[in-house]
Formats: sequence, C-alpha cells, structure tokens
Amino acid sequence: MREPLSIRVLTYGLLACFVLMVAVPLFWMVTTALKTNKDLYEDFSYLPSRPTLQHFVRVIQREDLLRNIWNSFAVASTTTAVTVVVSAMAAFSIVRYRYRGREWIGRFILFKYVLPTAMLFVSLYAIVVALGLGNTLKSLMLTYLSFTVPFCTWMLMGYFRSIPAELEEHAMVDGCTKIGALFRILLPLSAPGLVASAIFSFTLAWNEFLLALVFTSDHTTMTVPIKLSMMVVGDQYIWGQLMAGAILASIPIAVLYFIGQRFVVKGLAAGAVKG
Amino acid sequence: MAIRPRSIDVAIPSQGWTVRRPSSRAREELWGKALLLPTVLMLVGLVLYPFFYAIWLSFTDKTVGSVGQFVGLKNFRYVIAWPQFSAALVNTFVFTVSALAIKFVVGMAVALVLNQQIRGRNFFRAFLLLPWVMPAFVVYLVWRWLYDPLSGLLNHALLDLGLVAGPIAFLSDRSTAMVSVIIAHSWRAFPFFAISFLAGMQTIAQELYDAAQVDGASRWQQFRHITLPGLYHIIGVVLLLSTIWTANAFEPVYLLTGGGPSDATMVYTMLVYVMGMVNLRLGEAAAVSTLFLPLLVALVLAVTILLQKKADA
Repeated sequence: MREPLSIRVLTYGLLACFVLMVAVPLFWMVTTALKTNKDLYEDFSYLPSRPTLQHFVRVIQREDLLRNIWNSFAVASTTTAVTVVVSAMAAFSIVRYRYRGREWIGRFILFKYVLPTAMLFVSLYAIVVALGLGNTLKSLMLTYLSFTVPFCTWMLMGYFRSIPAELEEHAMVDGCTKIGALFRILLPLSAPGLVASAIFSFTLAWNEFLLALVFTSDHTTMTVPIKLSMMVVGDQYIWGQLMAGAILASIPIAVLYFIGQRFVVKGLAAGAVKG
Repeated sequence: MAIRPRSIDVAIPSQGWTVRRPSSRAREELWGKALLLPTVLMLVGLVLYPFFYAIWLSFTDKTVGSVGQFVGLKNFRYVIAWPQFSAALVNTFVFTVSALAIKFVVGMAVALVLNQQIRGRNFFRAFLLLPWVMPAFVVYLVWRWLYDPLSGLLNHALLDLGLVAGPIAFLSDRSTAMVSVIIAHSWRAFPFFAISFLAGMQTIAQELYDAAQVDGASRWQQFRHITLPGLYHIIGVVLLLSTIWTANAFEPVYLLTGGGPSDATMVYTMLVYVMGMVNLRLGEAAAVSTLFLPLLVALVLAVTILLQKKADA
C-alpha cells in the first residue's frame, strides 16, 4: 500500500535530520584527522584544504600508539578466547543438563549481565593490588571475564535453546556421548551464535574504560582508550593526532561490525531485549 | 555413557538397564556441574566476593597500601554530610532522567521512520546504529572536540550562522556543561532504543493496521492503540536497562568534563572515582557506591525478572 504524500515527506524529512545528526560528528572526526594544524587552529575551514596523513604518522611515532593498540588487542583477544570456551561450556550445562540449582546460576548470570562495573571497581582494584597484579595487562584479562562471560553465556543459552535437543538425542541413540553430541551437533549448528558472542566479547573488552583506567598506570601498559584520554590533558594542539588515534582505535571494531553486521543486530535484539 | 533416561526408554529394553540408571544420572549431573565450574569460580571470585567486599570496605578506613580497620558508620556520616555527595545525587538524577527522555523520543522517532517502506532501509539502519557501535571513548573524545570553545565545529558553525555573538564554552560553563554532557550521551545511546523498538514493531502483525485503516483510524490513533501497546514489554525492559546503564555511566562525565566545572556535572560514579582513585580513600569511595546499592539492586532485580519472564515464555 502506498503511503500518503504527507507521511512520505515527513518520513524522509525526519530521516534526513537523523542522518545529518549522526553524520556531523563522524565528519568532524575524519576531517580533523586529515587537516593540517594550520587548518585546525588558524585559518579554519570545514574541509581539509590540503589533506594530510601527518597526524597518523605522528600519533604512531611520537605517542607510540601501536604499542597501546597491541595492548588492547592482547587483552581483548585473550579475554575473548577464554570467554567463548567458558561461556559455551556454561550455557551447554545450563540448557542441556538437569541438576538442582542450575536455574539459580542462570538467574545470577543474568543479574551480573545487568549489574554495572561501576559498582565493583573499588573492591576489584583492592583485590587486583592485593594479588600483585597492579598495572599489568593480566589484571584486565582476568577482570574483564566478569562481564564478558555473563553476557556471552546469556546469549549462548538463548542460541542453544533455539536448537532442538532431539538432534543431539538422535546422535546419542546412535552411540555418541553427550559431550560428543556437543562437539558434533550443537557447536557446528550454533556457529553463528559463537561468532556473535566472540564479536561482542571482543568489542566489550576493546571498549572497556573504567577498569583499564583504574588498573593501569603507565604508557607501556595502557590500553588505547586510556592512552588517548591521557593525551587530552597533555598538549593543547593535539586534536589532529587524537582524532587520528580515535580512527585507528575504531578500525578493529568497524571491521568486526562489517563482518558480523547481521549477527550483531540479531544478537543485540536477541541478547538484550527478546531474551 | 551419560544418556538421558528418556532416550534409554526408546532405544533399549529397559529391564537390563534399570540398575545402571542412577549411576548414569549421577554421572550426568557431575558432567553438568563440571562444565559450569569455571563460570561459577569466576562469578564467586570476580562478582560475589568483590560485591560483599565493597560493602565491607565501606565500614573500614582502608586506603591504598593500608589494611583497613572497622570504623562503623563513620564513612557514611562523613559522605552524607559532604556537599559533593548531594550534588552527585542531584546530578545523577538529572542526567539519568533527561538523557532517558531524549533517548526515548529520538529512539522512537528513528524506529518509526525505519519501520516505513523507505528505500535503502538496511543501509540507513546500519548507518544510524553507528554511534552505538563506535567505542564509547571515541564518541566522547569527538564530542569534546566538537564542543571546543576556540576551534570546535559547533562554535564555528554557530558563529558562521550568526546564531551567537561570541564563542560558547560549552563544557566549562556551569549553565551549559550538564546539557552538553546529556546531549553527547544521548547521541551515543539513542540507537539502542531505536533498534530495540524497531525489533518490537516488526513483530506487530500488519493485519492490525489494515483493520484499523478500514475502520478509519488516524495515524496517531494507530500508533497510540496498536504500536505502543505492542511495545509495552520492550519499552519496560529498555527503560529499565537504560536507567541502570545511564545512572552508572562514567565515561561521558570523565572524558567531557571530569565532573566540573565546580561539580556541575559531578555524578556518583565520578565521585567514587575521585574519592577512591584520586584521594586514595577506598573506604569512603566504597561508602558512596554502597549508598546507591539498594536503588540499583532494586532496578537490576526488576529488569532481571522482566527478561527472565520473556526468556521463559
């Protein structure tokens, strides 16, 4: 059915506003990174008059940002690897085994998924210091599990539930063990869910700010978000480099989003809202 | 050989197996628990223990590097009497409620637009989701630079359009700082509302709208009597989740204003950070978050129950 003209005008008008609203800050980020300092601070122009990559070169050479990117990558990939294995085990156990107390664990996992890190960071900091893990990447790899595992377990529980248990039961009738059925039937069938949970886990760890700010204190152990936020207070004419750094820090997430777009949208809806 | 009783009944004559059934069930139970063990250990070590340890800390005078002594309610009395605490209470409330209202309205409008038959819908949906997908710290750094009083885009644009006489110090003026933080945060978080509402709208049957149209219902009546009721559950979950996340947001304030100017944007997470990590007084910092705990736990329980209901249904 064709919409009346007034509705179509309103729809496209609003859409244009929303697109503009989202586009302007993105435009500002990208053009800033490509402008010369003269364009930024002296003769202002909306577009870069002589586009340059010097800010990217500087942020890598002077600020050694690649080191911080590597730190972020090490933390996020370690956390993700552990998270996917541990969450798949937990979700399989809760969904497919029968023993007392598993509903309560499931509820507690959901409770933690919703509970914000801000409630826990003071005591986590005291614990990390007491364990002698202060100012190490290990402290982040360990504590990030506290939010990635509940998130991914909850997501995978939903995924595993959507796959009929009869498939595994048939395999078991044919002589497969329950664990064998997990590896041969359930995991291959839930590959999209596993990919989505890995993407989410990596993204959560890559973007985490508060714990990284509290636990790490020098430039060699900082993850990207902390390093960039420290640069803000450092120098006044830093914005070209900062926006270049922000773009570099967004690239891994952009790539993951591009690869897994349909999983991400599905997962957002399934994990957060539909349950 | 962990086999469910049900499949045994189907597969094998049962007499020969009844003896072994208890042991296979026990073994099944053991496997199930073993698979859950790493998660349980993690939850105990990194969630339960810190959770109660934080409450304990709030009754001690612990600082970094010292063992805390029990001091009773001293921290609480100190914190409550502190002017920064009441500022944080009010600011957290203002920030949460205003940001929620903006995100709700914009999110609903975006969802309604994306739910229409528009060309390139998939592209626009992916594009409008970008602020939510970008790392939060990147978003707030960009906004800090947008707000820059001397070289920021907003001031250049406002001056060029002739809308203001002189540059505005968005983030360092008491009258504009909170509004600026709220806008930056709403920009980042509205797509969560939009995408959730859109997912909900797409589950509402088209027949309802067709029938309403036949009966001569206006657009507004259709929205009011079909779309909104169809979204009640999702609206509840999204508002609760977002209340929790917004009230506990740290990055927008830390990266944009640091709580200033003169506590105009001091929210409670920022106050906990300042007390614990800047002043190194962990006991008092823990007392602040403990004071917010009852409210937060109530919200978290409510959303947990709502989500659980949906998952069980």
